[in-house]
Amino acid sequence: MNTLQHLAAGFAIVVAPLNLLAATLGTLLGTLVGTLPGLSPTQGVAILLPLTLALKLPPETVLILLAVLYLGCQLGGRLSASLDPRPRGTAGTPPAIWRGLAGLPLSISVWPSFAAALVATLGIALLAPPLARWAQGFGPADSFALASLVFAGAIGLAGDAPLKAAVAATLGLALSTVGLDASSGVHRFTGHQAYLSDGVPLLVVVVGVLSVSEIPLMLERRLEHRSASGAAVSGLYQLLVARSAILRAPVRGFLVDVGPGPRLAGAADALEPSGPRDAPAREAARTLSAAGAFVPVLSLGVPGSAAMAVMVGALALHHIAAGPALFTEHPELAWSLIAALFVAPLPLLLCAHLPLLGAFAGLQRTPRWLLAPGLVAVGAVVVYSVHAAWFDLLLMAVIGLGSYLLRKQGVPMAPLILGFVLGHTMEQHLRHALSLSGGKLAVFWVSPTSKSLWLVAAALLTLPPLLRHWGSQTRGAGSAAPR
Amino acid sequence: MNDQILGASCIATGAYLAWTAVDYSILAAVEPVGPGTFPALLGGLLVGGGLWLVLRPCPLPPPGAQAPPWPPVAATMSAVLAYALLFEWLGFVLATALMALAVGLAFSGPWKRVLAGGAVLAGLLYLLFDRLLGVRLPPGLLSLVLTGPGG
Repeated sequence: MNTLQHLAAGFAIVVAPLNLLAATLGTLLGTLVGTLPGLSPTQGVAILLPLTLALKLPPETVLILLAVLYLGCQLGGRLSASLDPRPRGTAGTPPAIWRGLAGLPLSISVWPSFAAALVATLGIALLAPPLARWAQGFGPADSFALASLVFAGAIGLAGDAPLKAAVAATLGLALSTVGLDASSGVHRFTGHQAYLSDGVPLLVVVVGVLSVSEIPLMLERRLEHRSASGAAVSGLYQLLVARSAILRAPVRGFLVDVGPGPRLAGAADALEPSGPRDAPAREAARTLSAAGAFVPVLSLGVPGSAAMAVMVGALALHHIAAGPALFTEHPELAWSLIAALFVAPLPLLLCAHLPLLGAFAGLQRTPRWLLAPGLVAVGAVVVYSVHAAWFDLLLMAVIGLGSYLLRKQGVPMAPLILGFVLGHTMEQHLRHALSLSGGKLAVFWVSPTSKSLWLVAAALLTLPPLLRHWGSQTRGAGSAAPR
Repeated sequence: MNDQILGASCIATGAYLAWTAVDYSILAAVEPVGPGTFPALLGGLLVGGGLWLVLRPCPLPPPGAQAPPWPPVAATMSAVLAYALLFEWLGFVLATALMALAVGLAFSGPWKRVLAGGAVLAGLLYLLFDRLLGVRLPPGLLSLVLTGPGG
């Protein structure tokens, strides 16, 4: 079958009544959860994950639901950012945007997203299968090199704190080694706790690291008197003006996220157009980078961001292995996901013009004193749904406290989640490769694939700091020149 | 100064990892790479990163950085810890209502509304997850009320 036939088959699965319903409800639910202030798309997916487990849906429906939940959470998060022009802690009459104009920015942000989704689907349909074919020939040493490349990206693109990102990634990897080691039967770092034999559950780490640690940070932010960030009200006029930018920005947004390097703060933002005139283009770019993040997951089984790492873990909970084998063993799954990414913005287009908008606005105004315990309680339910063990809750609280302290020191959390999700397979590849070679380290530098992957990893590690260094030097020279 | 504390914690954690991991490799003499190799490698990396953090020149704190409001932060985190410990004994509804009260007050919400909001939140979440979605939550002290004498 060629790409078009596969895509057609994927669409046939998506338009089945159950899947269409899942896509519609998932998008709406994702947008609603994403609209809650202080919730990232990663947290949104983690919170909605037990829902997908509880409903006992067929795998293709689960995949579609997870994908649209993620895209919905993304959009919801951006909505809450763009619709919240009020400074924290000030009561009084809401600005005009709340009184009737709220529909405008939402509908504006949906149209470019829809256009972008078209481009993204095309990009994924063209890129993912050849990448998957390439990755099928990987030996354990190549796979280890690929995982290292992901970390090199996470560390190199971590902005001003590459060392702290490296520390976070290492901590995440270390956390993944907790539990019974299957090949030797040794219990590692369990402290003789039977609860820990299976390792730390993914949901415990995600909820602890992202939700629980967020509560004290919310408390600190609330006490700071933030200045109002004047949100621009977009209009159709802007959409027309920014037409050309809409076409340019998405391509860049997509490219940033296709690479297995994680999309961390700064990397994508630096490439996005700025200024209110470019708002629709920015929307398009973000949708594309959100959808583009699926390429490495689908084709290589390697997540590019914390949210995608959670997605890989979520698929594993549903017994679906992301990666090259998905295209050969379950092509219908892979292609229905691609089709779902295409369909996802449709329900949003619909709800942009519905009175449902009032619900978005209402959620936005949830008081912090209710939102914070709500986050903890939902997180606890999510964690408790795994093993029904209070020990997991304790672990969640301890991990949350630890990551709060780390975040206070400027340690980014995305590499930690990446490390935790990739740790197990990475160690397996390392041990497999070394046992094949009889312990010789040279095995990691044999195949052309691993050689090129290592070279790219080295470039990702060294180039961003060098570029920043050069950039600051030229800026320094430029400011010094007029004197 | 903060980076030095972070670095020192990294060195301690890394040393613990490497120290414990060596034992694992002795326990299971699987060649050439045993269960201890990967953790030992990570421990080494953490010690290295920690040393770098400790020894590099300390960056100045960003302007406007201030100490976090420790009393409410400590109250919130203790409430979450207590919530985890009392979750099964008190049951989901009671534990959640109490936790919501403590956290809500730390967020300086008006106490009457915090109390009511927490109770409603606990009840609604219990109905949604336990009754509708089939995630079993502990009834705890309220088991007689929530599940009836038989359950």
